[in-house]
Amino acid sequence: MINIVTAFPGEARPLIEPLGLTDRAARGGYTLYHNDHRRLLISGAGKVQTAAAVGWLRGADPARHQAWLNIGIAGHGNGHIGAGLLAHRITDMATGKNWYPPQVHGLSLPTDNLLSVDRPETGYPVNCLYDMEAAGFYPVACRTTTTELVQCYKVISDNRDNPVAGVTQEQGEALIADRLTDICRLVTALERLSDRVTSRQIAGNSLARFTNHWHFTVSQRHQLERLLVRWDARLPDQPVWCDELQTRQQASQVLHWLEHRLDTEPVRLD
Amino acid sequence: MFTHIYIEDSIAEHPRTQDLCARFPDATRVACAHYGEVFNPKAQDFRLQKAQPSLILAGKQGKLVLEAPQGYGIGGDRNYYFSHMLNCLYDCRYCFLQGMYRSANYVLFVNYESFEDEISRLAESDPRPAWFFSGYDCDSLALEPVSGFATHFLPFFAAQPHARLELRTKSTQVRTLLNRQPLTNVVVAFSFTPREMHRSLEHRVPALERRLDAMVQLQQAGWSLGVRFDPLIYQQNYQTHYRELFCEVFRRLDADRLHSVSLGPFRLPRDYFRTISRLYPNEALFASPLTVTNGMVSYRQDLESELTGFCTGELRSHVPESLLFPCTVAA
Repeated sequence: MINIVTAFPGEARPLIEPLGLTDRAARGGYTLYHNDHRRLLISGAGKVQTAAAVGWLRGADPARHQAWLNIGIAGHGNGHIGAGLLAHRITDMATGKNWYPPQVHGLSLPTDNLLSVDRPETGYPVNCLYDMEAAGFYPVACRTTTTELVQCYKVISDNRDNPVAGVTQEQGEALIADRLTDICRLVTALERLSDRVTSRQIAGNSLARFTNHWHFTVSQRHQLERLLVRWDARLPDQPVWCDELQTRQQASQVLHWLEHRLDTEPVRLD
Repeated sequence: MFTHIYIEDSIAEHPRTQDLCARFPDATRVACAHYGEVFNPKAQDFRLQKAQPSLILAGKQGKLVLEAPQGYGIGGDRNYYFSHMLNCLYDCRYCFLQGMYRSANYVLFVNYESFEDEISRLAESDPRPAWFFSGYDCDSLALEPVSGFATHFLPFFAAQPHARLELRTKSTQVRTLLNRQPLTNVVVAFSFTPREMHRSLEHRVPALERRLDAMVQLQQAGWSLGVRFDPLIYQQNYQTHYRELFCEVFRRLDADRLHSVSLGPFRLPRDYFRTISRLYPNEALFASPLTVTNGMVSYRQDLESELTGFCTGELRSHVPESLLFPCTVAA
């Protein structure tokens, strides 16, 4: 699952069809576009609005290891209008706090520093990206997943020569639309990473079968999970659910049987 | 090699930083106040980062050289270790670094001169020779073309009569050593596991033959060498695997001219083990018959004794007893 957050409808509009976000719903005061594995939420402008939107999305689906992507237009000291950049450092102008989103493996998109400000920047004192959302988005999203799955992608809409006051909603929308190829690559890369992390979480494929058949205490259930993970790692070709196992009457006997088998089977690492 | 180089503000103007940046002109440079801002945040995924680590250049502060744990050593009375770098080019599944650090990025401490000051101070504080082990938090030589670690430290140790240096490596980056006269107070120690375990557990590590080639070259050039069978890994038919490994190693090397041969069983602190086994739940190594004793995960006592006993016995037929150093770090 990937969650995309934009501040404005104009930043979201170009993404909806290409990303297959065919379902639209108004929930919790937000407009949500979604399909089975992607969600896009329009948060409103500013750090607080963005942080609240991330929190709401997280509450709506608390599954771990989802990917998070903040997309929007941004100012830049001297960057070319229309250039798309990932943030490699996000600084909250108000607090001075920094975050460093890790690089997305296998994706060679340009990156830059990003300064999150509370009001639109009109002086562009530093040659870096300026936005109003990333410092609200990044730390909250990072509380829900691993940092490699959280990224901010910005398209330059204004700079010293083309100040923000002249940027229209239509122009912003067109700028995002022009970067669709890169955005789709980024979305795919993050989804792939999310899948890789999620695939590690399977704690033994047969857990439900065991818990339906015998009664395990909470402690025994943890023990069972660990043993089934070990079984999958050590004896992937041997089905754990066998006749010999099913003759066990109690959960403790099941655990003992699993442990004994794992301790006595030859260890093969190749 | 690196798409991004993070640079701690304190060493941004350091000549070594400037030199490294000049050698990677295409890498994006990112300034940070302290390397920990990039390296230490929670919720990083070591396994994902390992696919494409970035380089972090920093200045090491605080205690630069630490006392080695009791039982860790190769015959010296005073044993220390130091780390000019955190993390390793290689990806060995048993490596404790995966559990110790949250990030797989490479941290290179560029203030080599500060390490030298501390090493000199410790070496001269006592007339007994002091051993300094490099390669605890990294491989000593694997990133030599980038770090220039050996290039810098070998001349320094040449001028330190009381100091001994162990370079611990799985690398074949020995050109720096071959290009200079050998030093009597430096041991280059290579660690090995049997071929089958190398294939399944030591990802990106050069093949056994290539490492032995490098060792033969060094031995012929007069360098003092160590062989480390560490960690010892248990698996079916381990006797055959280790017997073959020992035969291969000591067929290529002149055992009488070795400095030392040591062996150490597989051990990990429990917290590290938990972290690593979650990163690699399908890894059969972590599903081996292991036990926890005093916070350390190791093979069941009977298996560990059997494995260590067998390997020690086999090694006695290849090397003099005086060169054998079993690792006795307390569990």
